[in-house]
Amino acid sequence: MNHNNMENYFEVSTKEMEGLTDARGNSIKSMLYSDHGIDVHTVRVILGYHIVGYITDENSERAVYDLFADPIIERGTHNERILDEYSPAPELVIQIGFKPGVTDNLGQAALDGLYTIFPDLEEIQISTTKTLAFWGIPKEIKVEKIAETLYNPMIERVSISSIDDCRIKKWPKLEFPHRPNIKYTQPTTINLEVSDEELIRISDNGLLALNLEEMQAIQAHFRDKKIQKLRTTHNLPPKMPTDAELECLAQTWSEHCSHKIFAAKIEHYDTETKKITNINSLFKTNIVKPTNDISNEVDWLLSVFHDNSGVIEWNKDWSLCIKAETHNSPSALDPFGGAITGIVGVNRDIIGTGLGARPIANTDVFCFGPPDFDGSIPDGLFHPFRVFRGVHAGVRSGGNESGIPTVNGAIIFDERYIGKPLVYCGTVGIMPRKLSDGRDSHVKTPESGDLVYMVGGRVGSDGIHGATFSSLELTEESPSSAVQIGDPITQKKMLDMLIEARDAGLIQVITDNGAGGLSSSVGEMAELTGGAEIDLGRVPLKQSGLSSWEILVSESQERMTVGIRPEDKVNFENLAKLHEVEASEIGKFTDSGAFIVKHNQESVAYLPIEFLHYGCPQMKLKSEWRPPKHLPIKFPDLNHEEMGNMLCRLLSRPNIASKEWWVRSYDHEVIAQTVVKPFCGKNSDAPSDAAVIAPIAGKTQGAVISNGIMPRYSDIDAYAMAAASVDEAVRNAVCVGVDLDMIAGLDNFCWPDPVQSSKTPDGKYKLSQLVRANQAIDDICRIYRLPCISGKDSMKNDAVIDGKKISVPPTILFSVLGNHKDVRKAVTSDFKNIGDIIYLLGETHQELGASELAFMLRDEQGGGIGGTVPHIDAERNISLYKSIVSAMDKSLISSAHDCSDGGLAVSLAECCFGSDSGAIIEIESLWENCEDLDEYGALFGESLGRILVSINPKNKLEFEEHMQKHSIYRIGIVSKSNDLEILKSKKSILTASLDNLKQSWKSSLNGGN
Amino acid sequence: MQPKVAVLSGFGINCETETVAAFEMVGAVAEKIHVNKLVKGHDNLSNYQILAIPGGFSFGDHLGSGRLMGNRLRFGLRSQVRDFVSAGKPVIGICNGFQVLVKMGLLPGDKNLNMKQTASLTLNDIGHYVNRWVTLEFDPNSPCIWTKGIKRISAPVRHGEGKFVTDNKDLMDFWEKSGQLTVRYVDPKSEYPSISTETLPYPISPNQSWRNIAGVCDHSGLIFGLMPHPEAYHSTWLSSTWTRENIAHGRGEPIKIFRNAVDYITSN
Repeated sequence: MNHNNMENYFEVSTKEMEGLTDARGNSIKSMLYSDHGIDVHTVRVILGYHIVGYITDENSERAVYDLFADPIIERGTHNERILDEYSPAPELVIQIGFKPGVTDNLGQAALDGLYTIFPDLEEIQISTTKTLAFWGIPKEIKVEKIAETLYNPMIERVSISSIDDCRIKKWPKLEFPHRPNIKYTQPTTINLEVSDEELIRISDNGLLALNLEEMQAIQAHFRDKKIQKLRTTHNLPPKMPTDAELECLAQTWSEHCSHKIFAAKIEHYDTETKKITNINSLFKTNIVKPTNDISNEVDWLLSVFHDNSGVIEWNKDWSLCIKAETHNSPSALDPFGGAITGIVGVNRDIIGTGLGARPIANTDVFCFGPPDFDGSIPDGLFHPFRVFRGVHAGVRSGGNESGIPTVNGAIIFDERYIGKPLVYCGTVGIMPRKLSDGRDSHVKTPESGDLVYMVGGRVGSDGIHGATFSSLELTEESPSSAVQIGDPITQKKMLDMLIEARDAGLIQVITDNGAGGLSSSVGEMAELTGGAEIDLGRVPLKQSGLSSWEILVSESQERMTVGIRPEDKVNFENLAKLHEVEASEIGKFTDSGAFIVKHNQESVAYLPIEFLHYGCPQMKLKSEWRPPKHLPIKFPDLNHEEMGNMLCRLLSRPNIASKEWWVRSYDHEVIAQTVVKPFCGKNSDAPSDAAVIAPIAGKTQGAVISNGIMPRYSDIDAYAMAAASVDEAVRNAVCVGVDLDMIAGLDNFCWPDPVQSSKTPDGKYKLSQLVRANQAIDDICRIYRLPCISGKDSMKNDAVIDGKKISVPPTILFSVLGNHKDVRKAVTSDFKNIGDIIYLLGETHQELGASELAFMLRDEQGGGIGGTVPHIDAERNISLYKSIVSAMDKSLISSAHDCSDGGLAVSLAECCFGSDSGAIIEIESLWENCEDLDEYGALFGESLGRILVSINPKNKLEFEEHMQKHSIYRIGIVSKSNDLEILKSKKSILTASLDNLKQSWKSSLNGGN
Repeated sequence: MQPKVAVLSGFGINCETETVAAFEMVGAVAEKIHVNKLVKGHDNLSNYQILAIPGGFSFGDHLGSGRLMGNRLRFGLRSQVRDFVSAGKPVIGICNGFQVLVKMGLLPGDKNLNMKQTASLTLNDIGHYVNRWVTLEFDPNSPCIWTKGIKRISAPVRHGEGKFVTDNKDLMDFWEKSGQLTVRYVDPKSEYPSISTETLPYPISPNQSWRNIAGVCDHSGLIFGLMPHPEAYHSTWLSSTWTRENIAHGRGEPIKIFRNAVDYITSN
């Protein structure tokens, strides 16, 4: 071991003491058993801090218990291995540490702690390791198998001591992960006067993700004589782009940043109606247009589509905003890092809205492969359960450490998400309607001459090519530099500082440095003043030697770009200092018409704003709709008890089962505003439909946040999928009593590549699904008066692994942000009292196509999922919803719960879970509006527009009168018994004990411990 | 006189807004103050009558929750904190703030204000963070000025490291006798009083804290810390089961904790 003062090791482990357990070790033991079936006897964890730089021995000794180890509960050592103390010696030791350049948040915190105690230390670096010692490993288990479940080779290194090594105390030891020296390379120029094949090669080799037409547009730009002349005056090669320019264009024009497919011209052919439709931009036609039309009817839309999130006027004092992002590709490669980066990234979209908003609620929706998948997992992918764990841990860490409650979410499972998981992270923000200086806080007000600041983290080689990478399919060669780990604390400090700066009126313009880094953030804001000029030499770096284009496009995390008036420079910088946030002036906004980049004295880029933002040629695509064919569902013939068992199995399906184990480790109550929490009921373990928050302390006006997602229906028709997603989000919001006069939507599309090519021979079909989904959103949102205010699309959710392409089912997450007039009238899903009367509101039709039951029966006994997919009657639904909300306003409704996955039977069971009660149900009346209905359709069908409510018997007359113009069905009462009993014409068709139902629902997704 | 409350913020503290709100609901003037404002001398604790260290994830809980923030205060604000406490002014630490007070040695503390750590808050036995509601019972014999007259309340816990332990069992007995083990987790189905030293099962005790300890005070009863979040239940509509109850809406029951401190200042 190195004993000179330039390199020191500190180790920490839990002390052996009665009443104290090694909880870190126990967690790993429990995870190994529950996820991998590996039953080891004991695991102990040692945290290691490896320090490079000069510290005196005296200071090192002091640091052991003043910083690294807790004197009461931990054992700490300096340059001694705790492993030497274990008797008997462990049978296996695995040490895990980061690869060079990977963000080490613990190491950064330790460094900060060291400077607190010894402010005069010279330059120090810290890297951390985790050392796991094992005893009692089952003989048949290979050591490599344990190691491989515990680390991610994409970002981590491992060193292992086998049982023989352990006997002779030869312990694992990772070297310090010094960043490799990077040699600065001069900006180069790229000759575009080449053949078309060569243009494509340039794009492919450079991971630029630009197609031939786009490359040709760039080629044409550099042939323009006027441009050539301008370039000469800016000391740039007149006829060819620099590497930085080409990179900047590739980022700005990437599918990720500019949504080319949604902006494309589409010729859509419907083989059913034989009609051809020409669409000039789905986005403009089906998303923007309806919102613009609705904006004539409502007065609360403040900022839609153009900013980092959509903003509504919630009341005269406050505005609310919402945005959701996806972080799919990074989450496939490093589930933890991908997800934490996703959540803190979307938080920055909120911080970067208007002049800055404060994030107040997160909502997370994940789509994974089945947790119990037992097929073979292709190389380069993780088992879905591991992705699940990693993503969950990442979002937990990102949300909890940022102090933003995770109030709502969903987890969906389907085999096709094995190739690419979908990780939707959404955030709601709040901002004062106006700042004290009178400015609207949702409007950016930059002026030419304002200074450009980069605030927060530094720039490194991490995260280069994230935007272009996510615009490509995932392959074994996907670059590890596209993976990053978020640092919530750096971001929290930055957020605190920026909100103070906003309130002090210091901010003129602000945006996030996400995809495309500075090239996108400054490039986008430059459009507002008509130009910007930055100097990459003034950008603080994590390591020297980065070349110009890398600094320009790096997506290193936790950075915002802010515009400040020159006279506010001192105040802004002082505020940054107080908060210990790095803020660097890197240039200024101009009205020169161009985005100009220098690197110290050297000219690096000159890009006219017009060309940068509007030069990308519009794509032209073809789409063809041909309804898919499916085998019909095979229905078994069951008696009432067997039906009860089937309901148990349905409740234990991962799509329906309780996610409580996972959700409880998210903080859903920080900021003290969460009125309806993720779980409700007597024991706080029944599912809630939507979140209700009351963001202003002591005030009773609230906001509702809900989600709808129904990818299964895409298998039959993406129109039905999109319609069901919108309806589910609204229905969930109605269940808690949303104010339907103020509901705003957020559409978030995750599609497989819909561009016809040799790699995607079914591109026309996938595009037709996109067209149909958009038409559904247009149709339904207009009728619901639900303007979309922001959204996102991710269009390359395919993975090619071992030559086989796995595409996700077309998936839309539709989120609703609505007003709640009085949170004291919010309603939860749990039945309240024995004897309460149960009603099903809304019509049930024979609609089992692509239902959860259909998939379950297919998995159990073959057959198909074919049949009628739920059809939407939006006019009927919204009329019903309005009456439900007004009944809630009159306090006539005791409980309300959405009927969706698994239909009426599942909903009934869930309402009983919240009240420790049973229910006696008679469903004969459902046939009034549908003669084709059978018992399966009635119990498990997923017809839209239905809500299950219960009321106090004393309100029966008033309630029925209030609802008289709607299809409502009085179907039963809440009973004292421990059974769910469902009859049809007095004949029992389903019985099950609540104990069994609840056990099935709660146990299948338990995460261990 | 309206007491002035310093509510610390910065470095990952994240419950400052609702802590300010809770104090203001009971008539105090509460100000959010960045720790560095005190360290750099832009402000001084002597300008305040009450100090609150809110919950959060200061420094990401790295190197043990509350550790790095505790060090910032221990090394950067030692004399201001000592002067504040010596002047007999109340201090509360909630969740992460409690962890800070324990790790800087102010809780359970000693008469000489040595600021030497004697107890700790370690990882929950379940091994991870958890957000759920618990029932708390207060020791009627505790000298704690913050909890006077309170028998039971419910409140959420939101932590991964809330298990209160010490390496000196005699000290534990001493704190028990002196009423410093102020707040315990209890079974909501039990009759009051029901404080027991036998560790209760999860989730009644969310962390298997020794003797079911949820919060402690110092010998004087002025410094108080607890893992659960009373400020998170400042209004009745924030409880976990309010939609099942027939209640008159208004302030949540734990608000009494904040009122006690304000009353203490106004009546002394």
